[in-house]
Amino acid sequence: MGSRVYLLITLGFYAAGALHALRHAVFRRSTLTTLSLVATLLGFAFHTAALAQRWTEAGHFPAIGLRDGASFLAWAIVLVFLLVQVTTRLEAASLFAYPFVFGLVFIANLTPDSGRADPVLRSLYLPIHLLLAVFGYGAFFVAFTMGLLYLFQERELLTRSPRRFYYLFPSLERSDTIGGRSVLGGSGFLTLAILTGFLWNHSLHGVYWTGDPKEWAALVAWLIYMAILVARWRWGWGGRRAAWLAIAGFAVVVFTFGWATLVPAVSVASR
Amino acid sequence: MIVVVGLNHETAPVAVREALAFPKHELGRALERVKQEAGLGEAMILSTCNRVEVYGRSDKNPVRAVADFLARYHGRDPQETLKHLYLLEGEPAVRHAFRVAASLDSMVLGEPQILGQVKDAYQAAEQAGSLGSVLNGLRTRSIGAAKRVRSETAIGKNAVALSHVAVELATKIFGALHGRSVLLVGAGKMSELAARQMVRRGARASVLGGRTFEKAEQLAMSLGGRAAQFEALRSELGRADIVISGTGAPGVVVAREDVEAAQAARHGRPLFLIDIAVPRDIAEDAGKVKGVFLYDIDDLQQVATANLRERKKESAPAESIVEEEVREFLEWRRSLEVVPLVVELRKRADEIRRAELEKARRRLGPLTPEQESALDAATTAIVNKLLHAPTVRLKQLAGHGQIDHVGIVRRLFDL
Repeated sequence: MGSRVYLLITLGFYAAGALHALRHAVFRRSTLTTLSLVATLLGFAFHTAALAQRWTEAGHFPAIGLRDGASFLAWAIVLVFLLVQVTTRLEAASLFAYPFVFGLVFIANLTPDSGRADPVLRSLYLPIHLLLAVFGYGAFFVAFTMGLLYLFQERELLTRSPRRFYYLFPSLERSDTIGGRSVLGGSGFLTLAILTGFLWNHSLHGVYWTGDPKEWAALVAWLIYMAILVARWRWGWGGRRAAWLAIAGFAVVVFTFGWATLVPAVSVASR
Repeated sequence: MIVVVGLNHETAPVAVREALAFPKHELGRALERVKQEAGLGEAMILSTCNRVEVYGRSDKNPVRAVADFLARYHGRDPQETLKHLYLLEGEPAVRHAFRVAASLDSMVLGEPQILGQVKDAYQAAEQAGSLGSVLNGLRTRSIGAAKRVRSETAIGKNAVALSHVAVELATKIFGALHGRSVLLVGAGKMSELAARQMVRRGARASVLGGRTFEKAEQLAMSLGGRAAQFEALRSELGRADIVISGTGAPGVVVAREDVEAAQAARHGRPLFLIDIAVPRDIAEDAGKVKGVFLYDIDDLQQVATANLRERKKESAPAESIVEEEVREFLEWRRSLEVVPLVVELRKRADEIRRAELEKARRRLGPLTPEQESALDAATTAIVNKLLHAPTVRLKQLAGHGQIDHVGIVRRLFDL
């Protein structure tokens, strides 16, 4: 079987996972989350197989172009959220992530392979750099989700008449703690990703900094999250302020990265 | 036949429930009497503040006799008492017993005490020697069903008592309460109740006292915390995560400015204010400060009502669990009805076997012990194997309510 078939099977399982996560939100049966978890785990297995298959097909680490990029990003997000779900037993977190992942894999299934075969892409720096980066952004996505959960639950508590979210979402404290840890972990990964990026640049062009838009985007993200870390651990910011920061930070990151990737004339991938 | 005769919060006002209640120390005597006077083979009495019920097993139809006993025992008019009673027999009685244990018949749906009360009632009946295999079966199955309901549905999850609601809200905000600070402003019954539950979950308490400082000190001592003078309100507020205010003061005790000052030092972290006083202690607009959650007594009530609504939603899956368990119990009961027939059948088969074995022995002459036991084992095996399938099938069919086979089997085997 080729990677296309694997990816299609993956999509099926992720659809089941996302659907059950949403049904859990509506009916709140814990058996549903088990189903959702099992479907997502199976999907993840096929997804990993699809990536491995695609790696041999393409001859380089499969994360270049829209199809492979979306698929790889989804894979990393699933891995990060599975880790979060297993370590924190928090079901509400996956509520946002699984539908999003389904969307990414759906897009990946619709688009053709990029067909690029650049010897530069055979470098071992590519998978290392990309894995570090994607785990970093995955962790920031978790922090963003936790920020949303915090603000939803806060609003719910302020209305003083509990509805669905009150019963479904974790306590403010829990969202805050997990969000804080995610920012810390994500910043670590991002720092390492930037360092390997520098090294890769150096091995290719002889300089550490080329002025590429993606480098600027990464730098902006790094600065934002460093500021968030300082605010939390030096100034003691927490709760709603930290939640807003995590959401705003992620929004800026998505915006700058989207800009750097979607302007093909200036993107690494098209150079 | 299983019967349940009794009354609950829906069929009888509290005055009648009080009058018909059985104190614990009288249970043994009452069980003895109801067995005699109503002709029950087995009996159990469940007497709580919301219900008085007699569970029994009898071959006749004893519900009226049990009802008369209830009136007679407490010296009440039988006709008058009957108006408040439900007289259940057979399947409805079994279903009722299961629903009571699962807290589906409780005044506060899903409240956890009833299961303990049911267990105690069976225990008392066991000690009085009035429990047999039927009520014991009912006991095991209904308690098992109640546990299933508790673990598989959310019926008991959300708090409905106001002090519980306050604690639940605190955990919605702060997660585990370990290491959190609770500040009590004034010492009332309900604030004490809520604070005690928070302390049990690891929170630290401090109590502010004014004119009655001694009272505050006593309460602080019993909560393992400390007391402070009322003048220290601002500094205490700055240290607190949860404030429970319940003074009898006529005006505002905690102003918006106090809360703002406390909140400025918290950098966006939440502060939970609970105002259970009427008239209220905490200025209403203090709840508008960012990161502050202010709940007054009406707000707590509103959450309790919403929680109760949630529980009602959970009662549908709970009812279906109970229904499933009731069906299994009834099947088990019915399958027991063929037990005498099976015993007879096996007895008859064994008689034939022994007689034939005797004849064979006479023809064969003396045998070695090995031959003797081989012959015995072979004939026993034939009988068992032949009767195995009919035995199983009879029990199965009876479990599904089909007992017309009993007659056919009797005629076929001439029993």
